[in-house]
Amino acid sequence: MSSELTLRIITPEKVVLDVTAASVRVPASDGSMGILPRHASMVAALAEGKLSYRQGTNAEHLFISGGFAEVRGNTVRVLTGAGETPSEIDIERARSAEERARARLKPRETGLTAGEAQIDLARASAALRRALARLKLKGYAG
Amino acid sequence: MVSVKELRVRITSVGNIKQITRAMEMVASTKLRRFQERATASRPYTLEIAGLVEHLAAVLGDEALEMPLFRAGAGSRVCMLLVTSDRGLCGAYNSNVFHALEAWIREQRRAGLEEADLDFFVYGRKGYRYLEKRGLNVTRFLVDPPLEEVDFVQAAHTSRQLVAAFLSGEYSRVDLLSTAFESMARFKPRVMAFLPVAPPAGGSGEAADVTSMILEPGPEEIFESLVPRYLETRIFGALVEALTSEYASRRVSMKAATDAATDMQKLLKGKYNRLRQEGITMELLDLVGGTEAQK
Repeated sequence: MSSELTLRIITPEKVVLDVTAASVRVPASDGSMGILPRHASMVAALAEGKLSYRQGTNAEHLFISGGFAEVRGNTVRVLTGAGETPSEIDIERARSAEERARARLKPRETGLTAGEAQIDLARASAALRRALARLKLKGYAG
Repeated sequence: MVSVKELRVRITSVGNIKQITRAMEMVASTKLRRFQERATASRPYTLEIAGLVEHLAAVLGDEALEMPLFRAGAGSRVCMLLVTSDRGLCGAYNSNVFHALEAWIREQRRAGLEEADLDFFVYGRKGYRYLEKRGLNVTRFLVDPPLEEVDFVQAAHTSRQLVAAFLSGEYSRVDLLSTAFESMARFKPRVMAFLPVAPPAGGSGEAADVTSMILEPGPEEIFESLVPRYLETRIFGALVEALTSEYASRRVSMKAATDAATDMQKLLKGKYNRLRQEGITMELLDLVGGTEAQK
C-alpha cells in the first residue's frame, strides 16, 4: 500500500521497531520534521528528542538519542544510538543524569586545558539535552 | 611398573580434569552463542551506516577526500589497535594473532619504520604481556571494562580515542589487528586499515538515485557526524568478531581436551583391569598351589 510508510528504528544493539505507520515525525537537527508516505528520498541528521508516528488514530512516541533518518521508497530508517518507548525510560537514571550534567556545566576549577574544558562542556550539555528529552517524553506520556 | 592403586588414582584425576574441560567447553558454547547473537543484532545498524557513508561519499565526491579523517596523517609514526584475549586455554587464538603481528611489524620495517615508531592500543591481557615482553610501546591498555563486557558505548569510546590520536597529527595511519570469524572452525587474524578512512567499497548499484536525494541539513554536515558513527561500528564489529572467534577457539580446544581425556581414561582403565586381573590370577594360583601341596 502506498498510503503507508514502513518505519524501522535501528540501534547498534537491535532493531527496536519495525512497523507500518501513516505518518512519522522526527526530531531533525534543525527542527521537527514530518514525513508522509511517498516522501522524496532523503537523509537527515537527527537531534536527541521525541520521534512520533501515527497508526490509524493512535500516535506513539519514542525517545531517540540523535542519529540519522533515511527515507527511501516509502521506508523510513532511523539510525540512532538508543531508542526507548516511554515505558522503557528509566526516570531515576534520567534524573540523576540531569543532575550530573548540570553540576558539570557549573563554572568551576577543573584543571583542564581550554580545549579539554570545551569538549567537556559540549559533552555535558549533550548529556543534559538527552536527560531532559527523556524526562519530557516520560512526562508527556503520563 | 605402576601399582593398581596408582592407576586408580590416575584414572580419577583424569576423570576430574575431563569434568572441568567439559564444563569449560559448555561455558564457551553458551558465550559463543551470545556473542553471535550480538553480532547478528548489530548487523542491520552496521550495514545501514556503511550504506549511508557510501552514498554520501558518492554525493560529495572528491570533497569527502579533503576531510582530515580521509587524508594520511602528518606524523611518521604508526598506531595499531591489537585485539587479543584476557584469558588463555583457547588454543592457538592468541599465538595466531602474535604471528600476524610479527608479520605486520616486519612489513613496517621494510617500509622504513623502526619498532620504536609503532604505538599500540591493546585489548586483552595476553596481548599486553606479549607487547611488554617484546619491548614495544603500549600507549593504552584497555581493561575497563574487560573485553568480554564490551558494549557499543565502550567500543565507541575506544573509537573516539583512536580518532583523537590520529587527529593529533602524530600518526600517519591507524591499523587494526583482530581475529576475523569465518565459520565455527575457521577464524584468522586480519589486519585492517582503520584510519585514514577508506569509503566502503561500492557495488550497491544504487548510484542512480544519489543525486536526487534531499540532504538535511547538508551533505558536509551529515557526513561529518556520520563518519565517526561509521568508525564506531567498525570497532564494535571487530571486537564482537574477535570475541566470537575467541570462544569458538576455546570451545574447539576444550572439546579436544575432553576427547583426549576420554581416550586416556579408556587406556588407563584397560591397563588397570589387566593388572587387577593379573593380581587375582596370581592369588588364585598361590591358593591352588598351597592346597595342592597339602595333599
